[in-house]
Amino acid sequence: MPVAASAIYFLNLRGDVLINRLYRDDVGGNMVDAFRTHIMQTKELGTCPVRQIGGCSFFYMRIGNVYIVIVVSNNANVACAFKFVVEAVALFRSYFGGAFDEDAIRNNFVLIYELLDEIMDFGYPQNLSPEILKLYITQEGVRSPFLSKLTDRPVPNATLQVTGAVGWRREGLVYRKNEVFLDIVESVNLLMSSKGSVLRCDVTGKILMKCFLSGMPDLKLGLNDKIGLEKEAQLKSRPTKSGKSIELDDVTFHQCVNLTRFNSEKTVSFVPPDGEFELMKYRITEGVNLPFKVLPTIKELGRSRIEVNVKVKSVFGAKMFALGVVVKIPVPKQTAKTNFTVTSGRAKYNASIDSLVWKIRKFPGQTESTLNAEVELISTTTEKKSWTRPPIQMEFQVPMFTASGLRVRFLKVWEKSGYNTVEWVRYITKAGSYEIRC
Amino acid sequence: MAMSGMRGLSVFISDIRNCQNKEQERLRVDKELGNIRTRFKNEKALTPYEKKKYVWKMLYIYMLGYDVDFGHMEAVSLISAPKYPEKQVGYIVTSSLLNENHDFLRLAINTVRNDIIGRNETFQCLALTMIMKVDNCHHIMSSILKVGNIGGREFAESLAPDVQRLLISSSCRPLVRKKAALCLLRLYRKNPDVVNVDGWADRMAQLLDERDLGVLTSSMSLLVALVSNNHEAYWSCLPKCIKILERLARNQDIPQEYTYYGIPSPWLQVKTMRALQYFPTIEDPNARRSLFEVLQRILMGTDVVKNVNKNNASHAVLFEALALVMHLDAEKEMMSQCVALLGKFIAVREPNIRYLGLENMTRMLMVTDVQDIIKRHQAQIITSLKDPDISIRRRALDLLYGMCDVSNAKDIVEELLQYLSTAEFAMREELALKAAILAEKFAPDLSWYVDVILQLIDKAGDFVSDDIWFRVVQFVTNNEDLQPYAAAKAREYLDKPAIHETMVKVSAYILGEFGHLLARRPGCSPKEIFSIIHEKLPTVSTSTISILLSTYAKILMHSQPPDPELQNQIWTIFKKYESSIEVEIQQRAVEYFALSRKGAALMDILAEMPKFPERQSALIKKAEDTEVDTAEQSAIRLRAQQQSQTSNALVVTEQSHANGTPPVGQLSIVKIPSMSSNVDDISAGQMAQENGTLSKIDSQPPSGDLLGDLLGPLAIEGPPSGNTHTRSSSNSGLEGTVVDATAIVPAGEVTNSVQPIGNIAERFHALCVKDSGVLYEDPYIQIGIKAEWRAHHGHLVLFLGNKNTSPLVSVQALILPPTHLKMELSLVPETIPPRAQVQCPLEVINLHPSRDVAVLDFSYMFGNDMVNVKLRLPAVLNKFLQPISVSAEEFFPQWRSLPGPPLKLQEVVRGVRPLPLLEMANLFNSYHLTVSPGLDPNPNNLVASTTFYSESTRAMLCLVSTYVETTNLALQSVPTNSIVIRIETDPADRTQLRMTVASGDPTLTFELKEFIKDQLVTIPIGIRVPTHPAPTSPVSQPTSAPAALTDPGAMLAALL
Repeated sequence: MPVAASAIYFLNLRGDVLINRLYRDDVGGNMVDAFRTHIMQTKELGTCPVRQIGGCSFFYMRIGNVYIVIVVSNNANVACAFKFVVEAVALFRSYFGGAFDEDAIRNNFVLIYELLDEIMDFGYPQNLSPEILKLYITQEGVRSPFLSKLTDRPVPNATLQVTGAVGWRREGLVYRKNEVFLDIVESVNLLMSSKGSVLRCDVTGKILMKCFLSGMPDLKLGLNDKIGLEKEAQLKSRPTKSGKSIELDDVTFHQCVNLTRFNSEKTVSFVPPDGEFELMKYRITEGVNLPFKVLPTIKELGRSRIEVNVKVKSVFGAKMFALGVVVKIPVPKQTAKTNFTVTSGRAKYNASIDSLVWKIRKFPGQTESTLNAEVELISTTTEKKSWTRPPIQMEFQVPMFTASGLRVRFLKVWEKSGYNTVEWVRYITKAGSYEIRC
Repeated sequence: MAMSGMRGLSVFISDIRNCQNKEQERLRVDKELGNIRTRFKNEKALTPYEKKKYVWKMLYIYMLGYDVDFGHMEAVSLISAPKYPEKQVGYIVTSSLLNENHDFLRLAINTVRNDIIGRNETFQCLALTMIMKVDNCHHIMSSILKVGNIGGREFAESLAPDVQRLLISSSCRPLVRKKAALCLLRLYRKNPDVVNVDGWADRMAQLLDERDLGVLTSSMSLLVALVSNNHEAYWSCLPKCIKILERLARNQDIPQEYTYYGIPSPWLQVKTMRALQYFPTIEDPNARRSLFEVLQRILMGTDVVKNVNKNNASHAVLFEALALVMHLDAEKEMMSQCVALLGKFIAVREPNIRYLGLENMTRMLMVTDVQDIIKRHQAQIITSLKDPDISIRRRALDLLYGMCDVSNAKDIVEELLQYLSTAEFAMREELALKAAILAEKFAPDLSWYVDVILQLIDKAGDFVSDDIWFRVVQFVTNNEDLQPYAAAKAREYLDKPAIHETMVKVSAYILGEFGHLLARRPGCSPKEIFSIIHEKLPTVSTSTISILLSTYAKILMHSQPPDPELQNQIWTIFKKYESSIEVEIQQRAVEYFALSRKGAALMDILAEMPKFPERQSALIKKAEDTEVDTAEQSAIRLRAQQQSQTSNALVVTEQSHANGTPPVGQLSIVKIPSMSSNVDDISAGQMAQENGTLSKIDSQPPSGDLLGDLLGPLAIEGPPSGNTHTRSSSNSGLEGTVVDATAIVPAGEVTNSVQPIGNIAERFHALCVKDSGVLYEDPYIQIGIKAEWRAHHGHLVLFLGNKNTSPLVSVQALILPPTHLKMELSLVPETIPPRAQVQCPLEVINLHPSRDVAVLDFSYMFGNDMVNVKLRLPAVLNKFLQPISVSAEEFFPQWRSLPGPPLKLQEVVRGVRPLPLLEMANLFNSYHLTVSPGLDPNPNNLVASTTFYSESTRAMLCLVSTYVETTNLALQSVPTNSIVIRIETDPADRTQLRMTVASGDPTLTFELKEFIKDQLVTIPIGIRVPTHPAPTSPVSQPTSAPAALTDPGAMLAALL
C-alpha cells in the first residue's frame, strides 16, 4: 500500500492549526505555513485540491469551516489520501454525533488525537471502521461512578474482530424487536444547455442500512438491476416480469457483502454489521428520470435592466412532492433593485452570492411554478465586459422517488432462530449539482 | 466630525472588524455593497444624511481594497451640497475615488469652480485642497493630467485662472491664498501652460511683496518651480528675493509664529536661496553686495548648539547658503570663510553635522581655488576616516580623493595605505582603487608609485582588482629605468612568508621580465629567483600558474650561459604541466618546453615584452564608473577628469580590457618582441597557430586588440592593397603620425616614397643594447636582425621579410664597413617572394676598437617605386665587450697600475641626461660594462669593468669609474685586455659627471671614453617618450675621431 500522508492538519478558515499529527518525519513541522501563505491567502484556494510547494504536495479539502490538509513529500497515492480524509471525517462524525466543524474539533481534542493515532500508522491508513474503533476507543465523557455494571459489557476480542471471519459483527446480540432499515439515496447531477439539451447527466446512489437484528442473521437483497434479474431469469428459466431493469455502473460493496456469492449468483447476500452502515454505492449514467425541468428566459434590456423569467416543472408522479426546492438565478454584480412575482414560494436577492434565490418549501409532482423578476442595475464607472451568465443552480429533495428507477425487489433475513423481522425501505432523490445554463 | 451620529456606519465597521476571516469579510462587504446599490437606486428616498453615510461606507470599502465602481455620481453630487459636512465628504470621496473617470471629473469642475469663486473661505479651501489631491494623490490621475488627456487638461485649464485670481486677490485671507499658491504649483507641475509667462512674471513679483510669511512661503515654492523652468522671465523677482532674505536675516517684522527656535522662518530662507540658485548670476553690484551681506550674516551667525531642532533648522539654512555661495562663485575670502566653517563642522562630535560638513566640502571642491584652504583641514579629514560611522568614512574618503594633488598626494596615499589594513571590507576595494589612482596620478616619482602599489597589494590583496596590478606592469614595462627597481622590490616581497596571490602574480611577472637586471645582486641569480617563485606554485590558482610558467620560461632564457640544473628543473615542471587539465596551462607548458628545447636561437622570442600602447588609465575609468550615482560625486568626477587631462604625463598606458583580453592572454604563448621576425619565429608561431590560439596571421585593422598587436608580427604581412595604410606592430606611438606623414612628403624626395614605420634611429639604439629586433620596417618590408657575439666575432642574421602579396624585386644589400670591422654578407637574393622571408647571414670580425658603425645600403623595388635606405648596423663597440666583474682587490691594483693618458683618460662630461645612479648602473650593465657596486667607498661613484675583444688586442680589461670629487689615484700597469671605468657623479648636479676610463690600449681608452660619453649624453631613453626627437647619433658628435671622417661608412652614418 502506498503512503497516503506524511502529516495531516486541520485548519480553520483563518488558517490557524486546530489539530495536527505528523506521521512521518520527512516533512517539516512548518510546512503548513507554506500552505497558509501560498494557498489559503491567495485566490487559488479552492481551484485545485492538489498543490505542490517546495518539495511537498498538499492535498486539501474543505469540510464545513475546516480545511483538512494532507502533506506528503514523496509520491503518494492521492486517491487513497482523499479517501482516507473522507473516511476519517465520517468516523469523526459518527463519534461526535453528526457534526464536524471547528467547535466539534475543539471539543474533542483528546478523542481526535487518539483516533488519529489509530487510523493511520506511519502514513499508511489503518482500520477506519467506526463499528470496530468504537469498541476500543471509548471517550464517551466521564463515566458516572454509579453505573458500575462493567461486567455486563462483553470483553472485546480484538483479534477476532480484526482477523475473524465476521470481523464486523459481534456475536450474541439480542434485540427485542428485530428491525432493518434500508434507504436508497440518490443525487442527480445535471448540466443542461440553455436550449434544453442535456450536456451531462448522471446519478450517484448509495444504499444505507441500519440493522437492529439479533444473532448472526444472513440477509439477501434483491434489486431490479439488470445483472441480477438476468441471472435470476437464467436460473429459474422464466422471463422477467417487470419490463424495466436498471444497469448499475461502478458498484462497490461494503466488506460484509459476500463477493463470491455475488459473483456466482449475482445476489447481494451479507451478514450485516450492527447499526448503521453503507451497504453499496453505484452510479447510473443512462435512463435517468430528471425530477425537474427548468425553462429560463433572461433578457437584458439595455444596460440597466434585466428581465428574468424562470419556469420550473416537476415531472415526477403527481402523488409525490419535492421538499426544500431552491432555485438560484445568478444576476450581474451591479444589481441594485429587484422586483419579483412568483406563483409559489418566495424569492429574494442575495448580494453575497449575486443571485436571486427562489425557495419553494413543497413542490407537488406534475405541477409548474414560475418566477418573473425585474432586475435594475446601477451604472458603474468601469466598462465591464458583458455579463458571463453563470448557470442557474437548483437544490431539492424528492422522497420516495429514485431518479434511476431502482427498486428493492426483496430483502430476506434468515437467522437460525427464525425470528420475524420488520423491514423498512425508503427512497430519496436529492440534487447534486443540478445546473441549467441560461 | 459629524460621524458620531452614523450608527449604520459604525455597525458596519465593527462587523467588518469582527470578521474571523477574509471570506466572511467579503460576504459582509458584498452584502453591504448590495445594500448601498439598492439604496442609491431609490434615490428619492435618500436624505443627505443617508447619502453621506453610504458614501462614507463606500470609501471605507474602497480603503479595504475592494473594487467600488459605482456611486461616484452620489459622491460628486455631495460636493454641491450646501452644508459643510456633506461637502467635505463629497470632496474627500471624490478626490479618493475619482481616479480614472474623467467624465465625472468634468461634472465636478463646475461645482469646484463655483466654490472657488464663491465667498465662503472654507469652501474655497476645500475646493483647492481637492484640486491638489486629485492632482497629487493619484498617479493615474496625474498621468491623465500630464499627458494630453482632455479631461485632466480641461480640469487644469478651466480652474487655473480662478486659482490665480484667488492667489493675487487682496481680499482673500492668507489661508486661502496660501492654498491657492500651492494649488497653482500643482497645476503648473502637471501642465506648465496654465501659467502664462508674460502676464504672470509681474504678478509673481508683486506676490513677493507680500508681508504675510505663510503666503510668501507658498509663493516661493511656486517661484522655485517657475524659475527652475525658465529663469529669464522672472528676473524681476530676483531683487525681491534678496529683499526677503534681508528681511529674514535681519529678523525684521517677523511674527512670532514664524520664528522657529529663534530662526526666522527657516523654510522660507531655504526656499528663497534655492530660487536664487536658479538664476545664473547676479549682475547688479548692489544686489550682489546686499546678498553677500546676508550670506555673510548667515555664515557668521550659525553655530552648533545643543538643541537638535535648532541645529537642524540653522544648518538647513546654512547649507543652502553654502550652496548659494558656491553657485555665485563668491570671492575667495568668502569661500575661505565657508571652508573654515565647514572645517569647524567636521570637527564636531555630532555625526550628522560632520557628514554634512564633509559632503559639502567635497561639493566645494568643484570650485577649484578653495582646494588650498581645504587642505588645511587635511588632518581633520583623515581623522574622519577613522570615524565609527561608515557613511562619514565614505565621505571622508571621497573628500580625500577629491582634494588630493601633487603636493599632498604622498601624505594622503600613505594615510590611505595605513588605513587600508584597518578599514572594513565593504570599503576596501574602493579604498584600494582610489589609492591606486591617486598614486598613479600624482606620483612624484615612479618608484614611489611602484612602492605604493606593491604595498597596496601586500596589505589588501583581495581588494586589489586586476586593473591595478595590470597598471603597474604597464608602467614598469614602459619605463626602463623603473625596471630594476621594480624587480628588486618584487624580489623583496617574495621573501615574505605569506603573500597574496596577486603579489605572486606581479612579482612573478616582473621578475620574469626584468629579473635578469638584478642578476648581479646577492640572492637574485636566476636560480634563486626561480626557486623562490617556485615555492609559491603549489598554493596559487590556475591563472597564476600560467603566469608562473611564463616566468620560468623567461628565467630559463635569461640564465645565460644555461644552467643545466635549472634547465632540468624547469623542464620537469613544463613536462608535468603538459598534461594539465587546464588548456591554457597545458598549452603554455607544451610550447615553452618546445621553445626552450630549441636553445638559444629561439630565445629572443621570449625577450622583453614590447611597450604597451599609451591609453587612458583603466583605473580612472573604473573609478568614474563607480561614481556615477550621486550628483556630488559627479562634480568630483568632473574635476578628476580635468585633472586626468592635465596630468597626462603620468597616465602613460592602459591595457585594453574592453575586449576582454586579460594580460594573461597577452603573456600567453611565446611573447615575440614585436621587432623580430625570423624564420624560427614563424615556425614557432605556426606551431602555436596549429594549436589554435594564435590565429593572428592575417592583417587586421590597426585598432586590433592588444593580443593581436603583440602577436601579430609573427606573420609578415602587407597592406591589403597597394600602398594604403598598414597595420604596424611598432612599439612606439609614432606609427600613426608617420603613416599620416606620407601624405605630406614633398614630391621631390622620390627616392623614399615609402616612409619607414617607426623611428629608425630609435630602433638602432634599441639594438645597440639588445641582440635581436627589427632594424627597419616600412609598409612593404621588414628587416629584422639577430646577432650573436663571441669575443671579437659577431654573427648577424638579417631577416628580410616581404610583407606583401606581391614580390619585391631588385633587392640589393650592400655593406659599407668601417675600417675596424671586417664584414662579410652572404648573397642577398634579387627577389623576395610574396609573404616570405629570407635570411642573410653576416659575419663580423672586430679588428681594433673604434666607434664607427657599419652601414647597410639597402634598396628594393616595389611596383615602380624604388626604395633605398641606408641603415646603421648595430655592430657597435659595446658588442665586443664582455662583462667581467672584479673584486676590490683586483680592481684597485689594476686601476693604479694604469698610468695617466693616453692609457687612462679623464673627462668631465656636461649635459648628461640626469639619471638616478641606479639607472645609470643599469645602463652601464646593458652596455656590457659590469658595474661593481660597493667597490668605491663613495656611493655616488660608479665603478665598472669590462673586457674588450678585438682581433688585434684580443681581450682587454677596461675600467671605468665616476667620481664626485677628485681622488688621487696611483696608476699602475694592468693587463692590456681589461678596461676599467670610473664615473663620478655629483648628487647636486646630475647633469655633469667626471668619467675616467682606463685600459691597456690608448685607442681603446679613447674610443671607449667617447662612446660612453655619447651614450651618457644621449641616453636612448628618449624612446620612452614617443614624441621625443630621435637622439642624435653618437657618430655625429663633434668629438668623433678624425679618422672616422675618412671612413666612408662613418660618413654615411653621420649623414643619417
